[in-house]
Amino acid sequence: MNLEWHGHEEVGTSKAQLWAFISDPKSVADCVPDLVEAVVEDATHFDAIVSVGVGPVRGKFKLKIELEPQSDGNRMNMKISGGGLGSTVDLLAGADLTDHGATTSLDWTGTATMRGKIASLAGRVIDAQAQRVITTTFANVKARCASASA
Amino acid sequence: MSTTEAPPANGRHSMGQPMKRKEDARFIAGKGRYIDDIVLPNMLYLAIVHSDYPHAKITKIDKDAALKIPGVLAVITADDLAGVGLAWIPTFHGYDKQMVLAVGKVLYQYQEVAAVVATSRAAAADGVEAVVVEYEQLTPVVDPFTAKTDKTLVREDRENKTNHIYHWEVGKRAETDAAIAASDVKINERVYFQRCHPAPLEPCGCVADMNPATGTLTLYMTSQAPHAHRTVVSLVTGIPEDKIHVISPDIGGGFGNKVPVYAGYVCSAVASIVTGHPIKWIETRTENLTTTGFARDYTMDVEIGATKDGKVTALKVTTHADHGAFDAAADPTKYPAGMFGICTGSYDFPVAFTELDAYFTNKAPGGVAYRCSFRVTEASYAIERGMDLLANALGMDPADVRMKNFVRKDQFPYPSPLGFVYDSGDYHTTLQKALDKVGYKELRKEQAEKRARGELMGIGISTFTEVVGAGPSKHFDIMGIKMFDSAEIRIHPTGSGIVRAGTKSQGQGHETTWAQIVAEELGLDPQNLLVEEGDTDTAPYGLGTYASRSTPVAGAALAMAARRVREKARNIAAHVMEAPLDDVEWVDYKFQVKGVPSKTVTMKEIAFAAYTNPGPNEPGLEATYYYDPPNLTFPYGAYIAVVDVDKDTGETKVRRFLAIDDCGTVINPMIVEGQIHGGLTEGFAIAFMQEIAYDAEGNNLQPNFTEYLIPTSLESPHWETDSTCNPSPHHPIGAKGVGESPNVGSPAAFVNAVMDALSPLGIKNIDMPLTRSKVWSAIQEATKA
Repeated sequence: MNLEWHGHEEVGTSKAQLWAFISDPKSVADCVPDLVEAVVEDATHFDAIVSVGVGPVRGKFKLKIELEPQSDGNRMNMKISGGGLGSTVDLLAGADLTDHGATTSLDWTGTATMRGKIASLAGRVIDAQAQRVITTTFANVKARCASASA
Repeated sequence: MSTTEAPPANGRHSMGQPMKRKEDARFIAGKGRYIDDIVLPNMLYLAIVHSDYPHAKITKIDKDAALKIPGVLAVITADDLAGVGLAWIPTFHGYDKQMVLAVGKVLYQYQEVAAVVATSRAAAADGVEAVVVEYEQLTPVVDPFTAKTDKTLVREDRENKTNHIYHWEVGKRAETDAAIAASDVKINERVYFQRCHPAPLEPCGCVADMNPATGTLTLYMTSQAPHAHRTVVSLVTGIPEDKIHVISPDIGGGFGNKVPVYAGYVCSAVASIVTGHPIKWIETRTENLTTTGFARDYTMDVEIGATKDGKVTALKVTTHADHGAFDAAADPTKYPAGMFGICTGSYDFPVAFTELDAYFTNKAPGGVAYRCSFRVTEASYAIERGMDLLANALGMDPADVRMKNFVRKDQFPYPSPLGFVYDSGDYHTTLQKALDKVGYKELRKEQAEKRARGELMGIGISTFTEVVGAGPSKHFDIMGIKMFDSAEIRIHPTGSGIVRAGTKSQGQGHETTWAQIVAEELGLDPQNLLVEEGDTDTAPYGLGTYASRSTPVAGAALAMAARRVREKARNIAAHVMEAPLDDVEWVDYKFQVKGVPSKTVTMKEIAFAAYTNPGPNEPGLEATYYYDPPNLTFPYGAYIAVVDVDKDTGETKVRRFLAIDDCGTVINPMIVEGQIHGGLTEGFAIAFMQEIAYDAEGNNLQPNFTEYLIPTSLESPHWETDSTCNPSPHHPIGAKGVGESPNVGSPAAFVNAVMDALSPLGIKNIDMPLTRSKVWSAIQEATKA
């Protein structure tokens, strides 16, 4: 099952502050909703355990997350892979940063491939649920980055 | 069609009477005995671990955690089955083999990977959750159109390293192509009959009971073909057939789904043999929908040529078939595409050709005859959609096009260009009756008025011909076993009796109709004839009930066995009436001395004499008959659907549906009507609601009844039914079979009606199921353009 999402956040910080925030695995991990546990491996990698509740598929997913900062400092990619409960997910997210001085635009996209029980048993509701997770993640980035900069 | 129970004729019910179903008293009172009602002492329970992924190598199966759960006794894998030679078993027709439990890799999502044996159902379920299977995922093959060229192989185990299974064709290719090319008018449309599922309300299950003392394996199982299953079990296990006892108790619907052999049966038998305990396995709904035999999944390119005035010149149908991971389609050995050659339908095509290519994909295997003779529903859908598309291209009324091209009554027996010899029919009369009864002209007038107001009303016709009753032994077998069927009749001294057949009712009402056939032949009371099926130790050998074969084959065997009983009874009657045998004749359900109407004796009296005063005749009154039909039978019908489509929502309302069926001689009109109601409801569900769809990653998207929808009385339209009667000339009682006609004929009527409604928008085809969203999207697309 292939899914695609996109969105936009206007973050009330400078681009440099936002870049620093999304380059920090710990900061990003804390923005993931329903996070149970996060273990930072190095500057660009962390492992996360998140609670999942989609239709009849309920339990925990173990995910490996890799940050891929682009050298121009304008784009951050993020690869997420893992799963649980007889399901796997491969998600590629990307965020483009546009500098407006005191604020920064964050335009994000996400594509995911879901396999296993979660796709079969929760196919009807998974799109909305996954969109909620990714939208909440970037909304949290906006809120926490702004809060950290205040 | 009358459904009121008529008063008994001549003091008894006989054939043609709407006798109430004898079995219903048991079911209504909750006294039916299904597989899950069977509880044996010291019984254990089996549950199955399924694959999460459609295509993956199994890198590890860890049983440890499961075996620590209280009550869990064993976890069976393919390695264990390999030890007893049961890792693989042959598929239905024997051309392929299938894994019982996944061997090395999984080939479709939900495939059986391991089986857990435990002391309770709950412990077995807990054990399933605790078995850890590690996978290395592989690219799935999902699309049959690319399967042939895909680099990924579904089946490395096969000698031929391709996903292409076979090519099949029948007819005259060159002549057909030339005739179509030379035709004034041509249509060429791709129609898809989606993957659907029989979804019987009772899923599959069994209780396997190995008696270590006698060495007898008793299998209580949801089987539509108990004898065939006994033979298969013997062949694959090496257990002598006399040591295998298959009992198929009451079955809550089959529709073809309970013909194949499934992993649960095999694992339960093995577990019982090893443990010496009875083992019960009952499927969940998800297991039934995702692993057991699906139906259809044919993509068909339909080409028809015709003259300007609407006379057909040629038919060509090219099919891509998605068979899933194993070639487990339920078709007779010599017919890999079943009876798909019936795709010329009710029409007199001068020439025709059809070909089919079948492919492996990473989907559940199947291709069962879901409430139809083998692949007849697909064929019927192709030709009936094609005839409507042709009418559209010609600018003719679809009823007129059909009338113009029907096989005429005087052409029967009619040799079709694809090899069948139709037995009897009068298609013009049946369609005319339907047109008159539905008020076709008035409906077309109403439609024109509505179209003028911008409203979408459609009228859909389907005038299908089935081919059922497999079958004549010269052509039809399953793994070499000829597809005859059998009956045994024993009349007791008091005139009651027991009737046994090689068939197995799953709701068809055999306990009633079989008794009526015998009662009619012998002049006995059907209420006093006990019908038994489904026990291989007592019933004569038969190939079971599926593909509309029971009445055409076993029904004939019953009539012939009864006639043997009657002939023996005539000898006893001659003795009792002290008359020469040649002077004893059967008149008005009694034996009578020729020319002496007052000198008669009833069958009941002869039954008593058979045990008390048989004279020079062998005592007793019984007979057995194995019937090998000389030909198939060809039920047909004319169905008309009337629909209104809401332009703004895409919702279709089936306002009327009329089914005129011709199944030859009717045994019990009330049961026929019930069969038609049930089949139409299933056809309605297929047309508007149901599809087993897979996404591009091979995930099964309809694994339960919240996704795979079953219509209730709220959704189902009101059904109008009627009949014509053209008996089969070669069947002993002229019957043709009817249970599957409505499922065969109705999907095209529904779709033709919706397409007729949408035709002002230029919409020619939408593939089933015609959900609101699909219809709405098509309307949006058409109106945007």
